[in-house]
Amino acid sequence: MDYSISKFLFTLLGLFIVLNWGMLMSSTMRRINARVSGRIGIPWYQPWIDLVKLYSMRSQLSHGTMFYLGPVFRLMGGVGLFLFMPMIYGSQYFMNYSFSGDLILILYFQFFGMLGMALGAGEGGHPYSAIGISRGLSQFTTIEVPMTLAVISLAIQYHTFSISDIVAAQQGSILNWTVFTNPLATIAAMLSLLGAFGHSPFNLVRAPNEIPLGPPTEYHGSFLGVLRTNGAILHVTEAALFMNLFFGGATSWIELIIKTFFIYFWSVFVGTVFPRFRIEQSVVWFLKWPTIIGIFSIILFM
Amino acid sequence: MVGPIYIIVIALGIAFTLGLLGKASKSAGWVFVLAGLAAMTFISAQWLVALLEGSIQGIQIFTAGYKPPYSISLQMGLEEAILTTLINSLGLLSLLYLGKEMVQKGVEILMVFMVFIMSMNVTIMTRDIFNLFVFLEIETIALSGLILLIGRKTAFQAGIKYLIISGIASGLLLIGIILAYSHVGTLDINGIASANNGLFRIAPIAGFLILISFIIELKPFPANGWGIDVYSASHPGIGALISGASATTGLYLLYKVLPVAGEEYLYFITLIGAITFIGSNLTGTAQSQPNRLLGYSSIGQVGLVTMILGLQPILGDRTLYLAFTIIISHYAAKAGLFWISGMVNSSSIKDWSILRKKPLLLVLFGAFILALIGFPPFPSFNGKWEILMKLGESNQYHWIAVILAGSFIEAIYLIKWLGYAIKLDEPVENQSNFHLTKQIPVWIMGLVLFGMGYYLNPFTHYAEAINYIPLLFALLLFAIDFLPVSIKNTITIAGLAYYFMLLWPAVEGDLLRQIFLVMFLGGGILTLLAGYSKKGKRPGFYSMAILMYAGLAGLLTAKGMYDFFFSWEVMTAGSYFLIIRGKRSLPHAYSYMLFSIGGAYLILGGFAIAAASLNGTSLSALSMVTVLPTWVYALIAVGFMTKTASLGLHIWLPGAHGEAESDVSPMVSAILLKAGVFGLLLLFISIGATNPHSQEIWYVLGWIGAITTLMGNMSAAFQEDAKRLLAYSSIAQLGYILFAFSMMTHIGWLAGFTYTINHFLFKAILFLIIGAIVVKLGTHNMYEMGGMIKKMPFSFIAVLISIIVIGGIPPLSGFAGKWLFYNAILEKGWYFQGALIFFAGIIAFLYLFKLIFSVFLGQVKDNHRNMKEISAWVLIPSYILIIGIMLFSAFPKDVLTPISEMIMPYFTSETLVWDGTKAMTSMGYWDGSTIMIVVGTAFMLLLGWLIVLSAKAQKVEQFNIVYAAERPFRPETTHVSHNIYAGYKKAIGFLVSPVITVFWDQASTFVLDFAGWIRRIYSGSIQNYAIHVIFYIVVFYLISLGGL
Repeated sequence: MDYSISKFLFTLLGLFIVLNWGMLMSSTMRRINARVSGRIGIPWYQPWIDLVKLYSMRSQLSHGTMFYLGPVFRLMGGVGLFLFMPMIYGSQYFMNYSFSGDLILILYFQFFGMLGMALGAGEGGHPYSAIGISRGLSQFTTIEVPMTLAVISLAIQYHTFSISDIVAAQQGSILNWTVFTNPLATIAAMLSLLGAFGHSPFNLVRAPNEIPLGPPTEYHGSFLGVLRTNGAILHVTEAALFMNLFFGGATSWIELIIKTFFIYFWSVFVGTVFPRFRIEQSVVWFLKWPTIIGIFSIILFM
Repeated sequence: MVGPIYIIVIALGIAFTLGLLGKASKSAGWVFVLAGLAAMTFISAQWLVALLEGSIQGIQIFTAGYKPPYSISLQMGLEEAILTTLINSLGLLSLLYLGKEMVQKGVEILMVFMVFIMSMNVTIMTRDIFNLFVFLEIETIALSGLILLIGRKTAFQAGIKYLIISGIASGLLLIGIILAYSHVGTLDINGIASANNGLFRIAPIAGFLILISFIIELKPFPANGWGIDVYSASHPGIGALISGASATTGLYLLYKVLPVAGEEYLYFITLIGAITFIGSNLTGTAQSQPNRLLGYSSIGQVGLVTMILGLQPILGDRTLYLAFTIIISHYAAKAGLFWISGMVNSSSIKDWSILRKKPLLLVLFGAFILALIGFPPFPSFNGKWEILMKLGESNQYHWIAVILAGSFIEAIYLIKWLGYAIKLDEPVENQSNFHLTKQIPVWIMGLVLFGMGYYLNPFTHYAEAINYIPLLFALLLFAIDFLPVSIKNTITIAGLAYYFMLLWPAVEGDLLRQIFLVMFLGGGILTLLAGYSKKGKRPGFYSMAILMYAGLAGLLTAKGMYDFFFSWEVMTAGSYFLIIRGKRSLPHAYSYMLFSIGGAYLILGGFAIAAASLNGTSLSALSMVTVLPTWVYALIAVGFMTKTASLGLHIWLPGAHGEAESDVSPMVSAILLKAGVFGLLLLFISIGATNPHSQEIWYVLGWIGAITTLMGNMSAAFQEDAKRLLAYSSIAQLGYILFAFSMMTHIGWLAGFTYTINHFLFKAILFLIIGAIVVKLGTHNMYEMGGMIKKMPFSFIAVLISIIVIGGIPPLSGFAGKWLFYNAILEKGWYFQGALIFFAGIIAFLYLFKLIFSVFLGQVKDNHRNMKEISAWVLIPSYILIIGIMLFSAFPKDVLTPISEMIMPYFTSETLVWDGTKAMTSMGYWDGSTIMIVVGTAFMLLLGWLIVLSAKAQKVEQFNIVYAAERPFRPETTHVSHNIYAGYKKAIGFLVSPVITVFWDQASTFVLDFAGWIRRIYSGSIQNYAIHVIFYIVVFYLISLGGL
């Protein structure tokens, strides 16, 4: 276990790369989205401008301690996922602090940020926040079903929960990737990913034209800046998780960037094509085909 | 030594003298009879004591100096001494009780009374069957006289019915005697019995007629409509006599003439008893009139004793003792109940709430009810236990089922009645009369009941290990019930602490019991601390709490099945009285008790079948069961699962925990549920992981656990009542625990222990705090709360930490459970059950968020603007428990390693390996301490960053919000809480539609309807009743002798 300063600094560097790649990726996706609907879209550097603007806002309102801590919890959730995730396979420096725990730690650490955010937004006292959270939680329960089944299938396949070991087992040939060795689990997980990334058709949580913004409604200024920062980190890290589990991991930052782009693009692509689900529809959707595929992915390996 | 003949002499002498007294001195006559009865009681008691001491032999006397048949032969042995003592003392107390009514009616009734008591004495003592017939006639006529003379308007009819049916019975008896005499040539009971082993071989009809006439006198179901009418129409004082004296005598007479008829009839006697025991109790379930109810119960109990008499070949030389344990409990309890019924003087059991004005009577009422059902420490408990064990040893499983089913059905209406007395509103009109002379006999019967429980214990060899000190402590607390809460609370806590220290050496070196001792008694002390926030006296609370904790502690020290079950029942009784204290707890406490009793009987049935193949009843011997092992294990497991509220057996829990008092909820949730867990653990350990007879059971239990978890969590998410939400959460947590232990692997058990410890910690905190908030805010509904975070910050932090643990969010100890679960499931290969468990785990977030958000976040209601933090007495125990959570989270190794070592011998499966603070399996790894450090460091850095960015953030009120282009003006309309998961409910809410509740509701409706349907045969018409009796005789004839 390495607690050295250099390890810390390299991890910080990795975080910086991930943050910037996350912002670039989000502006790219928004541009793609815009082009599909016949617009030009934002300039590629828009997220940086937004972030600078938000962090330098002078008016700051707080509804109380939990409200104040909410964004910290949320960011900690994203950063924590990053810290516990091995990013670059075989790199001494960018395995981060993944020696503290395995895949299960990652799965459960997701809740850390969600819970903190939900509580902070709750203290904000805005009804839209509560509505957004209730929808988000409802949807999340069934999003996780195919994901859990896929993880169990993977664990049976590789007989380990260690992400590094799973990545190691996929090295050598592209045909060793889980997507080829365990396609059903991959499909189940990739369908679950659609919900986790929160694009259409599963974006009722934030529902921009119905309850503007959802949980973060009351957040503004640097609070919102923190949330945006987290968003960028979280998207890359989560995509990296799927990359590690199903697409052979990454041995360099370039490989990571390419793979995470396509993983993220998958959710944007679906989102551009399909309209939004109501909450009761999305809840049931995940329990149908994705779950059935997940179950078969386990049966195949039993 | 005064000869037993003087019992008759005194009685007759007084009866004749009364005639001379005339009507002038009614009171003098009463005193005279009282003195006579006292003398009779003295004579029989004197014989009893001498015979028990062994200083004297039983004697046989012949009246008038001739040998039979020219004289009457009377016998005074131990049996006769016991029974005459019971009869005469009951007569004495009854007369005391009936004092005023008797005196008003005049001396005639006193004469009849005296003759009645005398005739029973003679029938007990006589050894001459014709003499028996004569005095039976005298008893019948005297009893009819009593029923007629002091009773209600309906008593006249009832008396006539009694005369007619008795007439049928006596006619048959007389014919039987004549036939018997013509074949055997003697009237001596011993003589007939010894001739060719009873009449069966030489004069079957004679034997049949003699036997059936005694059976008819015992009011066998269903030919007993007349008997029920007698009970309901008579004065309760007479009811007590019929039930306590007449029925007891009748049973003894049956026992006496059984050898006359021949042992070939024993099976049919058992059958008749069984039908009566079940049938009468079943019919009683739909009854609401106290005296009639008592009648059904009496007839049922008589049926049970009849069964015991019929089971002589199995029970052997213990038959009489075992019958006596039931008879004495019934004698004392039924007399007491009839007398109380006379004092309450109402035609509905719902009016018995008036008893709350007389706490001592209420306590005795409870004791009588529990004695009838067979709870410890009453004699019937020992009796039933031994009967069942003996039946098990002889593989008589159907009789075990009959006894347990009948006892359970009896509990259905008796517990309902008890609940009404404790809980219902007091009646508006009442004609009750609690005169002291009426109360004293009841107190004495209470003493008899408790005294006999204590006295008879040495006669059961199982009962040596019972520790009565906690029970005495409970009694002491009852005695000081007039003191204020703070004093009693301190005494109780001191008592628990002392008991803890006393027991600790006893469990030294036994980590399993140490863990549970800490949870039971340590948890008990912590939850009691919250009691300091209560005002007033809380009558009865502390005795019952001690009873429950004594039972819990007794489970840990139990060595054999008997003391384990004894403690189990004590705990059940104590917890019932705690649960029923809640304002709206009546129906919930009732269903709790029924499920508990049902579960206890399943355990008892399992123990009994286990006894068939075990030498002795040691708990650890369960692994060696060779007869029906799967059944034994399944029965015991299901019994324990009624306490852990597993799916299908859970419907009592939400109400019982949700409606209980604020400090009772944590006791029954965090602590009491663990008794079921402890029971399951003992069972699983003694079965052993590789036992071939239990693999299917574990597989099924695993699925039940998983589905319970899913249903519990989902139901919790849809609750609006904060405490019910927590209650459903308990069901789910116990589902996890059942699932984990059912895996029967090393890591599975580690997960189980982690969940058990965690649930103890966080559920105590949550119930303490939410309970206190519910009281403070005056509502259970979460949507009527909100925004309490600023008013109650300490409560908020405690609840927050608890929900982080439940959610399994790193870095707190809940995650340890989740991580162990994943590893265990993968190792065991229970993938789909596991997937359900994890799905359920995420659904938990729905209710966790709803709970903390609706209560603490969102908008404050106008009427709660001036709320303050809840009592420190609630926060102190909560924060002590939080320290526990924090220690467990930071140093999981120190808790898990000893447990690992403890369970090492039980399993051959993979173990958890530690490398420093890092836990490893072949599948994965987790380092709790490092995670704490990494998360802590990163969190502080990020917090620092935000503080730098927004140090000048301006604090605004929560209500300072804008939406839909306007500023809302009423907080009520902006707190989103009610039916917050409407979409979710619409999508998959059908999964938690209450099918199981509906199932149990319909089951209970069915029982009641069925009972109502049976009751239709009781038309009240004597012609019908007579036909019933004739039919009964014919049917009995056909099945017993028809084949000859």
